[in-house]
Amino acid sequence: MSENNDGHDDGHHVNYRGIYIALLILFLISVAGPEIGERMGLPWLTLVTAFGIAIVKARLVINNFMHLAWEKRIMKWVLATSVILMFLMVAGVSPDVMNHEGNNWENLAAKEAVQRGLAEAAGYSDEEGEAAEEAEVVVAAGFSAATSYGQICATCHGAEGAGDGIAGAALDPAPANFTDLAFWNDPIRTDNVRERVLTVIRDGGPAIGASALMAPWGALYTDDQLEEMVDFVLSFRPNP
Amino acid sequence: MAHARPIATTRSATGIPTPRLAIWWIVASEVVIFGGLLGVYLMHRIGHPEWAEAASHTQTWLGAINTFVLLTSSFTAVLAHQAAEKGKGKEAAKLLGFTILGAMMFLMIKSYEWYGEIAAGYTITANTFWSFYYTAAGLHALHVIAGAIIMGFIAVDAYRGRELHRVEIIGIYWHFVDVVWIFLFPPLYIAK
Repeated sequence: MSENNDGHDDGHHVNYRGIYIALLILFLISVAGPEIGERMGLPWLTLVTAFGIAIVKARLVINNFMHLAWEKRIMKWVLATSVILMFLMVAGVSPDVMNHEGNNWENLAAKEAVQRGLAEAAGYSDEEGEAAEEAEVVVAAGFSAATSYGQICATCHGAEGAGDGIAGAALDPAPANFTDLAFWNDPIRTDNVRERVLTVIRDGGPAIGASALMAPWGALYTDDQLEEMVDFVLSFRPNP
Repeated sequence: MAHARPIATTRSATGIPTPRLAIWWIVASEVVIFGGLLGVYLMHRIGHPEWAEAASHTQTWLGAINTFVLLTSSFTAVLAHQAAEKGKGKEAAKLLGFTILGAMMFLMIKSYEWYGEIAAGYTITANTFWSFYYTAAGLHALHVIAGAIIMGFIAVDAYRGRELHRVEIIGIYWHFVDVVWIFLFPPLYIAK
């Protein structure tokens, strides 16, 4: 290796070894942060340490290793144009990709893919002529309402029921916040609340006039298990 | 004029040497290719909660080791550039050799990782998550292979003290390949 790590390019000095060590430290944080975030249920820590640090690392490499910081200004504009065009493209298609329905359209294939995928994730293989009994047996083998909630519901409704799951962030309307008293006081579920919650879990949101983004899960569970799921969801309800 | 350089390698309206200008254009176009791919992945990931299950099967530690390998290879690439600027062709060639070694380690680890995934049934057609996984990481791996091959030619020249300015050019490309991995690593391996 070189005995001297000071860069001498067009008169600028870069401590390459220092940059490299900084990159390694940031790398370690970007691996440890999400692990801690996941264990402590802090999604923001996961996102900041994973994606925020990636941006910092990329900046260090681009400015100091690629020497963009000392490059002629026109090149920075060319690269910035590329980045802006890329973001424009992504932003332009995002409403169609991230939503699965709009005012006059519905992406049935995507919706089915979500349901099928979540069902498979829960240990149930969705074959032709799906056998609900088979599903019941599979789920019953290791069923607990808390685990099932964690695997299926928490992605949108959040681990603590606050409607803050990672996948739910982009949904409109936002996923229900079970810890919010206003949710429970909504007229569509004040009357016989237990039956209403059961209906939504089993038959999906539209069954009681709520959002279609809440999918039906009845095929996955036995009646007893559905009752346990209802108990679990009701456990988030705050005291009035 | 038999030994004159072609005008295209010296003339530049921007004030940037033509080879460097060319590699920046390549990087600018690659930004759209990889940026678009990654952006579309993230949008799908947000719209598809069921991908969490598939994503949970990627092997974080192999991805992390590969990140370390690429960061280190970027470090040796920039040291090669530094040596080339001082006219130390042999030193630059040796450091490019280390960088190529890093590329080969990266590809071996990647092959081992993919072998495990494919053996477990997670193929490119298993579902859309795995399609993205293999497309993004595969396109990146192709860039690693291309970079390593070109770097080999440049290292041979540098060893003989020829065309030392090319060390910087391949370096810029290599750091970009590193930057792409820096952005692929979080969504595919850690914040799944």
